[in-house]
Amino acid sequence: MAQRSVMTMGASLLVASIALAGCGSRGDSGDSSDSGDTGSSSKVAKIGVIAPLSGDLSALGKGIQHSVELAVKQANDSKAIPGWTLEVEAVDDEGKADVGKNGATKLAGDDQVVGVVGNLNSSVSQQTQPVFAAANITQISPANTGPTLTRGADLNAPARPYKTFFRTCATDIAQGGFAAKFLIDQGIKTVATIHDKKTYGQGLVFHFTEAYKAAGGTVVAAETINPDESNYAPVVSKVAPSKPGAVFYGGEYPQAGPLSKQMKAGGLNVPLMGGDGIYDPKFIELAGSTSNGDLATSVGEPTDATDAGKKFLAEYEAAKYPEPSAAYGGYAYDAANAIIEALKVSLKDAADAKSARQATVDAVGKVSFDGVTGKVSFDEYGDTTVKVISGYKVEGGKWTFVKSENVG
Amino acid sequence: MTEFLQQIVNGLTLGSLYALIAVGYTVVYGIVQLINFAHGEVFMIGAFGALATWTVLFKGQHGLWVLPIMVLGAVIVSVLTAVVMERIAYRPLRGAPRLAPLITAIGISIFLQEAVRLFYPGAKSKLTFPEIEVVSGTALQVGGLTIQRAAVFTVGALAVSAVLLWFFVNRTRLGQGMQAVSQDPDTAQLMGINVNRIIVIAFALGAALAAVGGVAQGLLNSNIDFRMGFLAGLKAFTAAVLGGIGNIQGAIVGGLTLGIAESMATQFIPGQFGGSAWKDVWAFVLLILVLVFRPQGLLGARVVDRA
Amino acid sequence: MSTSTPDLTHGAGHGDHDDHVTVPLLERFPGRGSAAAWPLGLVGVLLLVGGTFLSWSYTGDVLGDLSINFYPGGVQICMIVLGLVALAFLLAHRGPLSRLGDWLDSAAAVRNLGLGAVAYMAVAIGVIAYESGGLINVNPGGWVSLVGALLLAASGLMLVSRQHKDPLFAKTTSWLEICAIIVLMALVLFGAAYALGIGDGASFVLFLMFVAAAATALAKSGVFTWIGLIAQKNRPVLMLGAFAVAFLFPFTQGGSDENMSIATQVLIFAATALGLNIVVGLAGLLDLGYIAFLGAGAYVGAVLSNSAFATIGWKPPFLVVVLVGAIFSSILGLIIGSPTLRVSGDYLAIVTLAFGEIFRFTMGNLDGNNGPDLTNGPNGVPAIPDLNFFGFDFGQPHNVAGITLGRFANYYFLLLVIAAIIIFVFVRLNNSRIGRGWVAIREDEKAAEAMGVNVFGLKLFAFAGGAFLAGMAGTVKAHHDVSVTPDQYIFLESAFLLAAIVLGGMGTVAGVLVGATILKLLPEKLRFIADYRLLIFGLVLVLMMRFRPEGIIANQRRKLEFHEDDEDLAERIEEVHLEEAEAKA
Repeated sequence: MAQRSVMTMGASLLVASIALAGCGSRGDSGDSSDSGDTGSSSKVAKIGVIAPLSGDLSALGKGIQHSVELAVKQANDSKAIPGWTLEVEAVDDEGKADVGKNGATKLAGDDQVVGVVGNLNSSVSQQTQPVFAAANITQISPANTGPTLTRGADLNAPARPYKTFFRTCATDIAQGGFAAKFLIDQGIKTVATIHDKKTYGQGLVFHFTEAYKAAGGTVVAAETINPDESNYAPVVSKVAPSKPGAVFYGGEYPQAGPLSKQMKAGGLNVPLMGGDGIYDPKFIELAGSTSNGDLATSVGEPTDATDAGKKFLAEYEAAKYPEPSAAYGGYAYDAANAIIEALKVSLKDAADAKSARQATVDAVGKVSFDGVTGKVSFDEYGDTTVKVISGYKVEGGKWTFVKSENVG
Repeated sequence: MTEFLQQIVNGLTLGSLYALIAVGYTVVYGIVQLINFAHGEVFMIGAFGALATWTVLFKGQHGLWVLPIMVLGAVIVSVLTAVVMERIAYRPLRGAPRLAPLITAIGISIFLQEAVRLFYPGAKSKLTFPEIEVVSGTALQVGGLTIQRAAVFTVGALAVSAVLLWFFVNRTRLGQGMQAVSQDPDTAQLMGINVNRIIVIAFALGAALAAVGGVAQGLLNSNIDFRMGFLAGLKAFTAAVLGGIGNIQGAIVGGLTLGIAESMATQFIPGQFGGSAWKDVWAFVLLILVLVFRPQGLLGARVVDRA
Repeated sequence: MSTSTPDLTHGAGHGDHDDHVTVPLLERFPGRGSAAAWPLGLVGVLLLVGGTFLSWSYTGDVLGDLSINFYPGGVQICMIVLGLVALAFLLAHRGPLSRLGDWLDSAAAVRNLGLGAVAYMAVAIGVIAYESGGLINVNPGGWVSLVGALLLAASGLMLVSRQHKDPLFAKTTSWLEICAIIVLMALVLFGAAYALGIGDGASFVLFLMFVAAAATALAKSGVFTWIGLIAQKNRPVLMLGAFAVAFLFPFTQGGSDENMSIATQVLIFAATALGLNIVVGLAGLLDLGYIAFLGAGAYVGAVLSNSAFATIGWKPPFLVVVLVGAIFSSILGLIIGSPTLRVSGDYLAIVTLAFGEIFRFTMGNLDGNNGPDLTNGPNGVPAIPDLNFFGFDFGQPHNVAGITLGRFANYYFLLLVIAAIIIFVFVRLNNSRIGRGWVAIREDEKAAEAMGVNVFGLKLFAFAGGAFLAGMAGTVKAHHDVSVTPDQYIFLESAFLLAAIVLGGMGTVAGVLVGATILKLLPEKLRFIADYRLLIFGLVLVLMMRFRPEGIIANQRRKLEFHEDDEDLAERIEEVHLEEAEAKA
């Protein structure tokens, strides 16, 4: 007798399962009708942004995101690509390799994405490159200066590892060389190097050291720090006895700022110098009042030094984004425009965004136009052909421009 | 030789910081046999409390006189956090299997970090800690040694705290009650000691010292962030174990020992495994070695059975 | 059919023979026991289901399209199902299915369904009002269903339980039990496929609410007790069914990689958590650095791979790599396990935590600057190529029976095999002499030692065994992830693993799978809370320890440890054991 009652219960479960099955089919059909709707009016292609939108480096990442948004908005307003609407899909990489790779997978899985601007960190790009390459998606970094990204692991025999990767900024070979000369020009002949062991910091210090030695300087100490460390007293004590004339730091401002401050509080009263990773107002904020005299190099001329740059800054201002364009805004804007230029060619006869990916990669390699940071075009490795580097100095709590040079 | 003395100075600074936090672990463990894993977060909240006090009341002021008020603000915020934590999360679990409070502690730890990250303005990235006259700025030079101004504050804070703590534990009724509870809670209760109150006081005491430590860390590093409690807490726990957990003098000795050991490792372990990159590894190796070979710590633990 | 079932006093429901049994808050409802309760419930079901056939929303772009009359959308169909289940329970309470009502607490079920439906409707109406700008946009159908839900809830609160047999002692034929298992598995498959297909967060939350309401109702009514029993009786069928469902899952995805990527992450996570479950759940040794073992496997997988950044020249076939990774991991397990001879309890937890940190720092340091160049430091080993088994390239999509299976689906199948191995090992160990030894150590180490259990050996074996399984999963993870970096193996990940076990239920396989799915799937689907994810996670850990320390799916023996004063439970467990012993004899 218990048997029958359980049978009825089984039956009710069965009814439930059939109803759930119905649930499933409706959900699916709803999905497909959605995408059908959007496809009929104007076709959509997306430009992805992948950068640190949260965390320590978010000031730079947000600037990149908004600059791309500005470029896309202008392209849509001027109907740059007839029959297509461009959209921006921004993904946060938190400046972390692992998160970045997941974000890249997400972008690559979106059939409407044809090109991506990002990443900020070379260590993150190292992870996202293969993901975008596998999906044939153009990736243009506005900020990656690590040479191996375009020239492969062996710099003596350069070979381009990923055909889909380009960049609008100069590499650390150019920057390290300029930084070495810049420091010698300041009359500093001995230096201690410290880096954070990440692709960018390590690479920058390596290329700086080579050029600095070649220019007659001496590296008196070479140390590393752990990127998630915030107390640098041990490393400062270790460097101090060798009495360097300056400390060259390879890494980014969240570490460089406190390092500068702790150096001076720890009795090592010499300037700290870094690359584009520390060229940010936040560095001075973190480094405090003792940062006067600290030095930095950055790629390109200051954005507000050229007419195109001024126009960009004015338009950015007018669009009222919540965050400033920061150090890489101009490069991100140029990178987005390089993709848009390429899309003008590749999307013309394309049926959908996904099928235009390969054509976009081919077209990006051939673009040539005047951007806000100078002429935008790429060499056979995907590197920018313009290699202008500028030197800056902290004076009165602000970065002031010292000089720039085309080292290409 | 200068290098050696210099590293002693660095080690004492670092060690004082560890000791200030370690006392909190040891006091609580001595009384309720609970590893308050979230104690590192109490330390972090102390630092943010000090920063908040400065931002709200004295923004732009850098005189030495604001420092005591900042410390007071830090202590209030930390103690409140610790007491609420004890009341809401730990007390209902007293007598539950050991696993439960430990997992609760991890939960609180994550919750507090995230709460600060999300709700303290600007805390998603590093925040600059204010520069205070006398205790920050260029270093002091004493006979070839470089001494950070903030280091003087840190060591001094530990010394003052230790004296006050000794006085509290040995010379006040509450302190003696605390000792009684740590020796035998049941008998102490029979003797008319309010055990719950003693436990709350133990949490508050640890939190107050951790808050002072938070201010010291802020001055030393000139910046604070919401993650700072995790590693510092872990190191301080190591220090507490090193000295013998449950033993207050032990926590201070353990903290100083660990700090000096770390500094020495940075300077004197030769070759690739030396330097600041490995100092945390050596600290934890030390923890494991102590736990395996002398689990009662340097000065002996109060709690013998640790099953 | 046997009629010898004893008339169990403790299963008889609420207070009909014992005056000072406290009545739960929910059941103190005015009009309780009134004759109107049952018809009220029927009216409630009618309105609830009837409402779903009308339009709920004026605008068509909220929660899928709910604006069409007589064509219910997914969100509405969930309510139809809920209504039908409630109807079944009402009919079991009084009416044609009343025999069923002898076994199941139908009143409690209706109560939970009703309250769940009210919550569901409230949220649904709230979302419609919020997203389309005002309550004015809620169409009559929504209100009709809400009234129905309210009536159903009221009816449930007024009904008095009349169950007088414990479903644990229901005797059912095996074909029926197998059918029930198959239906259950089918439900899980449909549910998972449907849930993953939901794009927007609000619909997903509603679906979760629906599942939660249905599940609590079934649990309260006692259906799950019965299902647990038949699952135990027909374990091979259940396992087979579960794997069939897991195996079929990629075919429901139509070649989309998005959900499969989540599914593979869930599998890696679950496989690792199962390994940890041996250490924590069975042997009772708290390990807070377990992610290091997964990391060790992953690093071995990476440096022995064909990546251009791999630092070791040896490139053995993948099966060898798996073995090397697993063995390397278990050696680390032995090293970290050896202090367990001396320390236990909280201290052990801290030792393992320290070990996890040592692993992460070391991996970050071995880059040629601060140690031998082995791991590339903080940059990790990128560009690990996809696996290739005898020409089967895991990176390429394959067509099976007309359905495209993408890259992640390939890894999904491989991981499924690994998960199966781990589950097999876990279950066999649990039911063996070793497993009983672990339980003895967990309960009372000194007593176990006195009884001749090799405490030290078994503890070491738990560490090494758990680490072996995690290392195995790690080698696949390296290829699946394409890159291995130290910051994938932070303490938070260990905490997540532990939380998966604690949330799901310690010492159980199903619990861990549920916990792993919840922890990995929810953040992916609930993007709008992404920033608050960890905050909620921390809070859930605290609340869980406070209110249900034994986890969602509790091992009964384990449950008793946390609720020592629950004599009912103790008695029931004992009786079930006696029953089983009798059945065997």
